[in-house]
Amino acid sequence: MRVVLAIAAKDLRQRLRDRSAWVIVFLAPVLISALMALAFNNNEDFRANVGVVDLDRGPAATGLGQVLRSPELRGTVHVRSYDAESAARRAVDAGDVHVAVVVPAGFTEALHGGGAAPVKVLDSVDYGLQAQLARAVTESYVAQVNADRLSVATAVAAGAERADVPRLAAEAALLRLPEQVRAQGLPDDPLKVISYFGPSMGMFFVLFTVGFGARGYFIEQRQGTLDRIAAAPVGRGALLLGKSVSTFVYSLAGLVTVTLVSWLAFDARWADPVGVAALSVAMAVCVVCLTALVIALVRTEQQAQGLAQILVFALVLLGGNFVFASGTTPLIRRLALFTPNGWALRGFTDLGTGVRGWDAVGAPLLGIAAFSAAVAVVTVLLLRLRRTT
Amino acid sequence: MNDPPRKPPVLDCAHLVRHFGDRAAVDDVSLSIAPGETYGLLGPNGAGKTTTIRMVCGLLRPDAGTVHVAGAPMGVSAGPAKRLIGFVPQDVALYPDLSVRENLRFFGRLYRLPRRRLERRVDEVLDLVDLTARAGDRVDSLSGGMRRRLNIGAGLVHSPTLLVLDEPTVGVDPQSRHAILESVTRFGEEGMAVLYTTHYMEEAERVCDRVGIIDRGRLVAEGSPRELVALVAERDRVRLAAVGDLAAYAEACRLLPRVEGAGRTGDHGEVVELVVKDARSLLPDLLDLAHEQDVDIRSVEIDEPDLEAVFLHLTGTALRE
Repeated sequence: MRVVLAIAAKDLRQRLRDRSAWVIVFLAPVLISALMALAFNNNEDFRANVGVVDLDRGPAATGLGQVLRSPELRGTVHVRSYDAESAARRAVDAGDVHVAVVVPAGFTEALHGGGAAPVKVLDSVDYGLQAQLARAVTESYVAQVNADRLSVATAVAAGAERADVPRLAAEAALLRLPEQVRAQGLPDDPLKVISYFGPSMGMFFVLFTVGFGARGYFIEQRQGTLDRIAAAPVGRGALLLGKSVSTFVYSLAGLVTVTLVSWLAFDARWADPVGVAALSVAMAVCVVCLTALVIALVRTEQQAQGLAQILVFALVLLGGNFVFASGTTPLIRRLALFTPNGWALRGFTDLGTGVRGWDAVGAPLLGIAAFSAAVAVVTVLLLRLRRTT
Repeated sequence: MNDPPRKPPVLDCAHLVRHFGDRAAVDDVSLSIAPGETYGLLGPNGAGKTTTIRMVCGLLRPDAGTVHVAGAPMGVSAGPAKRLIGFVPQDVALYPDLSVRENLRFFGRLYRLPRRRLERRVDEVLDLVDLTARAGDRVDSLSGGMRRRLNIGAGLVHSPTLLVLDEPTVGVDPQSRHAILESVTRFGEEGMAVLYTTHYMEEAERVCDRVGIIDRGRLVAEGSPRELVALVAERDRVRLAAVGDLAAYAEACRLLPRVEGAGRTGDHGEVVELVVKDARSLLPDLLDLAHEQDVDIRSVEIDEPDLEAVFLHLTGTALRE
């Protein structure tokens, strides 16, 4: 164990003497996540300014307006009314509102008659999340009204008096659709931008340590120090473990630094510190596995650097480190489940929206563990293959 | 009267073989080194010296044969045998971004030296390689000669029984080279066994008690420098400084009767060196041949044979070819 610690301590000392390592793992993620927080309204909570154009003037349209102004959405959704669609369009284009909902004339009549008068959502490429929110609220409202209608029609068909229809409709309106019942894991609090981009940027830059670690191995090989270690009574396992420990500590220190700075300086919020720690540890272990994989796949430091960069960018692009997962396509969201950082970000998102404990980090930890295990198995097979050839 | 009991060898290599593809880099090499003995493995680049050393140090698994260090078998994960060896690689193998002391301390820790003993040994080694004043400096701020000395020092921290030096003077200035050779002589005098590879004859003659000549993976001769030179006692060593196609000239010389070896030497290959029987009677033939081949002879020296001559005699070519 002393030898393992000696190798790990030596590696860490070398890394800490490398200024670029400080910049990449500690300084850059803090700066970039801070810049992102500033870019997204200076670390304020998520907010959607929604314009509403009521061309229907009927009760159904009024109901939609009331939903958007409801206490549940207060603080997140801010409604502004417009008389015409063109005015709302101009407001969206000018950035006065993020998105506008146009309730067409005949909306109420169409709902009651079962016809089609779809609500139009005017969105902007700059505010995809807000548009999604407006669409979701509208669809949810229409689904609720349809469900009310269906329940009243069912009651009438079952023999209820026509005179009772207004009362039945009012009672049906009080019932909520099952989809509107808060499901496990859905947010209690709005997600703060820094709560997402802090760990996101931390992970992005910590993944760069894959390149550092792999390159360092080949540099040691070239300068002969690896041979010198191998000539000493140091088992291969102790050497690998020592190097893994240093990569793990370094990666973990990077992630912890970013999350601490995000929390203390930028008021990031996560519901469960233990969950944050667990995700950080899991990601640091994953970085160790990825480093070993790169070492097993290549032969030179240049190849190690190149492969590590490709790997890092593929992972961060698929995993959603640059955009909210909800702002990407379903395909990308599915592909993110094949990346450890994608899983970790799901966990951080849940923690950032108030979900705690296993509900928030259980699936992400299993996802990261599965990825790390797969990488470790491939690495061992590659190393064995290399030894036999 | 009985002979005094022979000390068991510190290093015992038996029938080492190692192939790279179809090429035999080391082919049936056996050697042993007694305590306090300095053994020189002498041969040109590519002769198999480094491959032999890597097998001795457990860095390379032999295809056949065995290595024992003070009776302990060597292998890739042979702790007891490795603990006894101090390995000094050919290139400077140190961490440039760590200080001199940190490097020595790190390599000492690999041998699990207790903290106090480690600190004491680091100080002793710093003194030994004359780097005490630079102990806190980063290695990348040292001169080439200092790095070479530290490279040797890193192999000494754990007080090895056998020191293995792979061409430690390559690319070293004369002053540092002298210091390194002095140190190696001292290690032997202090009872440490030393395996020293070189392609410099004069180094082997100066520091080694016994020399093994290795060529194309085979150990072609072994003995003290005096014993080896005696192999060519009846021969002369002729050195012709010349201008022209000296490679072709040396090749042609080898075909002459009484020429036992010929090759180019000198810093730029400007000398043809020969091992011959009866140099004085052969000299006219050599000059005629030079004339035929448009080779302009500038000077002729006839010397007593040395290890270079031994190598020429044994392999037919010059050591530095």
